[in-house]
Amino acid sequence: MAGEDGKDKAAPAAAEGQRKLDRRDVLMGLSTVPALGLFGYAWRKQNQVKQAAAQAAVAPREAAAAGDVKEVNVALLGAGAQGQVLTEAMQRIPGLRFRAVCDIWTEYNQRRVVNTLKRYGHEVNGYVDYREMLDKEPAIEAVIIATPDFWHAEHAIACLKAGKHVYCEKEMSNTLEGARNMVLAARETGKLLQIGHQRRSNPRYIHCHDKLLREANLLGRIVTVNGQWNRAVAADLGAPERYAIPQATLTQFGFKDMHQFRNWRWYKGLGGGPIVDLGSHQLDIYSWFLGSNPTHVTASGGLLYHDPATHEWYDTVMVIFDYMTPAGPAKAYYQTQTTNGSQGYFETFMGDQGTLLISESELNNPGSIYRDPNAPAWDAWIQKGYISAPVVPEEKEEGASGAIADVRESAAPDRHKVPITLTDPYHQPHLQNFFDAVRGKATLNCPAEVGYESAVAVLKVNEAIEANARLAFRPEDFRVGGTA
Amino acid sequence: MMTETRASHWAMIGITLMRVLVGWHFMYEGLAKLTADSWSAAGFMKQSRGPFAGFFRWLASDPTMLAYSDTITMWGLTIVGACLILGLFTRLASLGGIGFLLLFYLCNPPFIGYFYTIPSEGSYLIVNKNLVELGALIVIFATGSGKFAGLDRIVHGLWVRKPRLAAA
Amino acid sequence: MDGRRAHDARRYSHEAMHTVFEVYALHPDERYAAQAADAAFALTQRLERDLSRFIANSDISRINRLEAGEATRVGPDTLECLVIARHMFEVTGGAFDISIGTGLSSLDLDEDAFVVRATQPGVRLDLGGIGKGYAVDLMADVLEEWGLHAALVHGGFSSVLALDGPEDGGGWPLTLSDPAAPARVLARLSACQTSLGASGLVKGDHIVDPRTGEPVRGRRAAWVAAPRPATRGQAAADGAPRLAVTAVTDALTTACMVMSVDEIAALCARSPGLEAWVLEDHGQDGPGEAGLRHFGGIDSDGPVALQTGDA
Repeated sequence: MAGEDGKDKAAPAAAEGQRKLDRRDVLMGLSTVPALGLFGYAWRKQNQVKQAAAQAAVAPREAAAAGDVKEVNVALLGAGAQGQVLTEAMQRIPGLRFRAVCDIWTEYNQRRVVNTLKRYGHEVNGYVDYREMLDKEPAIEAVIIATPDFWHAEHAIACLKAGKHVYCEKEMSNTLEGARNMVLAARETGKLLQIGHQRRSNPRYIHCHDKLLREANLLGRIVTVNGQWNRAVAADLGAPERYAIPQATLTQFGFKDMHQFRNWRWYKGLGGGPIVDLGSHQLDIYSWFLGSNPTHVTASGGLLYHDPATHEWYDTVMVIFDYMTPAGPAKAYYQTQTTNGSQGYFETFMGDQGTLLISESELNNPGSIYRDPNAPAWDAWIQKGYISAPVVPEEKEEGASGAIADVRESAAPDRHKVPITLTDPYHQPHLQNFFDAVRGKATLNCPAEVGYESAVAVLKVNEAIEANARLAFRPEDFRVGGTA
Repeated sequence: MMTETRASHWAMIGITLMRVLVGWHFMYEGLAKLTADSWSAAGFMKQSRGPFAGFFRWLASDPTMLAYSDTITMWGLTIVGACLILGLFTRLASLGGIGFLLLFYLCNPPFIGYFYTIPSEGSYLIVNKNLVELGALIVIFATGSGKFAGLDRIVHGLWVRKPRLAAA
Repeated sequence: MDGRRAHDARRYSHEAMHTVFEVYALHPDERYAAQAADAAFALTQRLERDLSRFIANSDISRINRLEAGEATRVGPDTLECLVIARHMFEVTGGAFDISIGTGLSSLDLDEDAFVVRATQPGVRLDLGGIGKGYAVDLMADVLEEWGLHAALVHGGFSSVLALDGPEDGGGWPLTLSDPAAPARVLARLSACQTSLGASGLVKGDHIVDPRTGEPVRGRRAAWVAAPRPATRGQAAADGAPRLAVTAVTDALTTACMVMSVDEIAALCARSPGLEAWVLEDHGQDGPGEAGLRHFGGIDSDGPVALQTGDA
């Protein structure tokens, strides 16, 4: 054959046994080695892509060395359940020095938080009257307010006017008037006022807003939104008998009795009920992601289940908002209920090219984005690490016979995960953002004006239920203009 | 020893190309498993069907045997793949590859009436890609492609004292 | 093991940490008792958020991600759990190991600053063997704060803490039974200010000895009981950490599933006040009476002082 002849001609010396290998042999011998080189190159490139995606996955932590940050003196105003959650989150933020804790429940919450802070090494004093605290602790630079909603306005305004920066839990206030005055006070004093919508600083939410929606526009045009917060029936909160607060103190601070003190959220004039407690977070996200405030609201709600003697607000609310977003009109549905916890809390943004399902929880619905089959391929965004590669459906458990027929009715849309994990407690990023702003290193993610827009939308829901009518918003409703 | 069947020059080039492709596939399969967070053949073996199901399921259920199987598979695939790409000890590597593919095939054979939920694309009836690749390796084995264009050629040239005279 | 209720006790339950926690309480005001139970259950939610390795932003998940030299701050409860777990690791000679052999001793616990530092990578913690017991201890503290002294708290019936017994006498009636044949009662206790932990296996399951990495066979169930210290804040004279007693019994039952009979006997011998039972598996013959072994005895005069062995 031709090949063999060629070899014979090329290696005449081999017959003598002197030279076993000639150049052709060596060339042919090494001819496939470059394939290995090509493999290595392709392997490295693939690893680079994987690494880029992996790096996007863990939210960057501001690990400042203790010596680098300027110490901030902090006071806690309101040491109840939420105040304690915030205190725990703040222990992981370097450079904070607690000076005082103010709470009217001296025997229980106040003492507990004071002791906890002392264990953490902070020398704190306890107070009942916030004015006394502001007088006697001039070193305080920032106040964290976690008192009931109906106190927010008075507390925040007093602290701002005393020259302190304020982080105030949501809802800004239980009245629009109160919220408005808070915005004005922040403007006049020039101090920072951050409202506690902590998802605004959650790296996952920021990633979805900045990268997936604004930059990549993965969902296309968002036309509808769905969201809920379902909670199972929970008994009213009580208090240990031996720690009951004297009635005089309760009355002084606006509470009818110990029961109302513990369950203020259900009472008119104190809180706004579940739609304000729970809904305010998510409705804030609706406006943020849609890029506009609502134009109309229709709502229906009632006290369907709980005891009217101890519950004044609605325990079930269903609401529809209309928006005119930069991309076009949209409608959003939201419900909250306190009789059943099915599927918990989440928000779903539905566009013509995809769907985003997200919640604050790291465990349930942390973030999935589905591509509509008609949408263009998302490969470029996967390579950039904005979204994960499509998730392969998990293997099913083996049946008794060992044979499983994998029959599906229709193709499910590709599911991509949002590749960001929050490793810190939920409120930490937002508090960190607040303290960074206090130190002049960042701008607030939820300043008073932004919190005010949410307050307007949320507080109107109860109004709409009461009026049993579709209410309209005017654009100027969302702005605070001039002085009171 | 030198009496392997020789195909035409172009056929040998084709077979060499096939050898490199099969080798690349094996090497990637092996390396991907080695560098993954955790990989185990347990999923495949637990779903084993057919005449050898008992054996594979036993392998999967015993932690020591499972560990051996996983290690041998991961490293074996990688080494076979590298050797095939380089054309080094080609016949040995081909046999190794044939062995692996036979095991994979027998573990989850696509016979009529068997369904699996292990991820696999394509539709197969008795013949699946493992079997096709196995066929390719038989050709590679039989034609000594490593000695044509591969390190075997150099090895053979260095170690074999007898002159390489073509068979008549 | 099942708990029978003493006639009037009300029973409240709540799911958390992959199990059902229950509070049995005797109190004239049912609504008040329900609120007290709710306050106790709220603790289990918080602890799960801090201790679960399945939740990405829990204290434990953050520890599991530490590289060598990195540190993270954790909450006081998490740190207390870790300190107890480390003490149990020493006391049982490594049979109880929340890191399952991945290097618990390489973690540095700073009890003043509440910081955990990793000196080497790859440590993976799972607080399943101690978390429920710890939760039960905290829940009991809450119930006492509310004035519910005649109560019993348990998590999945495997971590039990009896406070004061029902008024009609003695303590809360508890039974130990064979997990494979629950109707068979192996022992009866009357528990008052006592903690009891239980571990049991369903046939075919393995439990791995963290010291060797090998599965252990032949042990079907183990129980450990210890008296509850008068105040939880009491530290033992020898400087051992405060005992959250149900966390301790939880840990010890897990350890007793892998420790040899001699090791258990030695542990009980050097820790007066500790009581343990072990049920061996006799295979196809079925368990006979001889399958149950009993060690130690509860001394209700004081807290148990657990000593590390020489081995």
